[in-house]
Amino acid sequence: MPAEEPNDVSPGTTPPKNAWKPMVFMRFRPAWAYIDGIREFGRFFCETTFGTPELAQRACVVIQEALENAVKYSNESLESELELLIQSDGDQIEFSVSSMPDAEHVQRLRSELAQHRTLDPEQAYVAAFLRASNEPGESARLGLARIRYEGGVELSLHEQEGGRVRVTAKGKL
Amino acid sequence: MNEDMVALDVPRVDGLGIELVLPATIKLTGMITRKDPSQELTHFFRQVHTDAIARHLSEVCVDVSGLSFVNSTAIRLFIDWASWLRGGTPPSYKLRFLTSRRFTWQATAFLALQSLMKEVLVVDRMD
Repeated sequence: MPAEEPNDVSPGTTPPKNAWKPMVFMRFRPAWAYIDGIREFGRFFCETTFGTPELAQRACVVIQEALENAVKYSNESLESELELLIQSDGDQIEFSVSSMPDAEHVQRLRSELAQHRTLDPEQAYVAAFLRASNEPGESARLGLARIRYEGGVELSLHEQEGGRVRVTAKGKL
Repeated sequence: MNEDMVALDVPRVDGLGIELVLPATIKLTGMITRKDPSQELTHFFRQVHTDAIARHLSEVCVDVSGLSFVNSTAIRLFIDWASWLRGGTPPSYKLRFLTSRRFTWQATAFLALQSLMKEVLVVDRMD
């Protein structure tokens, strides 16, 4: 039987010790038109690499909502390219999106994430639906709650020098 | 659904199929991931809502079992629709969502919505 290729990504195979860790990195202009294609690639990557359609669906929610936020609030500078990183290590998967949002959005994001930390993902999800139902005409603001609950991940925010922020969503494979 | 309902203006939305099925079902298939799907869909859902009230329907079904993915702005549209009904005393009709276990977003989103709006909303699984 031939030795297993280090880069074999057949679903269900146990990677050998010298295998590459599954990883995707993309950098692109913050344009709405790219989101569908990138989300579908994320779905394909997760399904092909890990062989779990359920994870692929979770990945779609995380990627869609994280990129929508990043695209909506990116500033207009030439340095505002987005970066998406998907990587796994052991039984963990991590999605992170780096962007250059305007300062007001960073403050709002900080505050929303702090609020989220006071509730478990399901509670925060139902609370977001309740808020949306009580505030007709306002923006949905369901994205972070969806990422946590539907995506099965926890969120963290890393602020970097120069105004760049990285939102990381990490959870079990 | 009578001829009035069939005469509704069905919008064209990229990636989304909308079909009116007799007697009182709207079947949505595909995906809703546009930046602002409300531009077309709020108007359409409003038309259906108004028409259902005018014809004293007891129930309108929205079959989302073929709707594989939506963004949160689209979920907002379903929340808004249920909210219109909740505003009526008593609610004029029930909104029944037909979902599929194939798509995990449906289970989470519609269960949350149902938990908040039991009086106007029913969620059924097709499979």
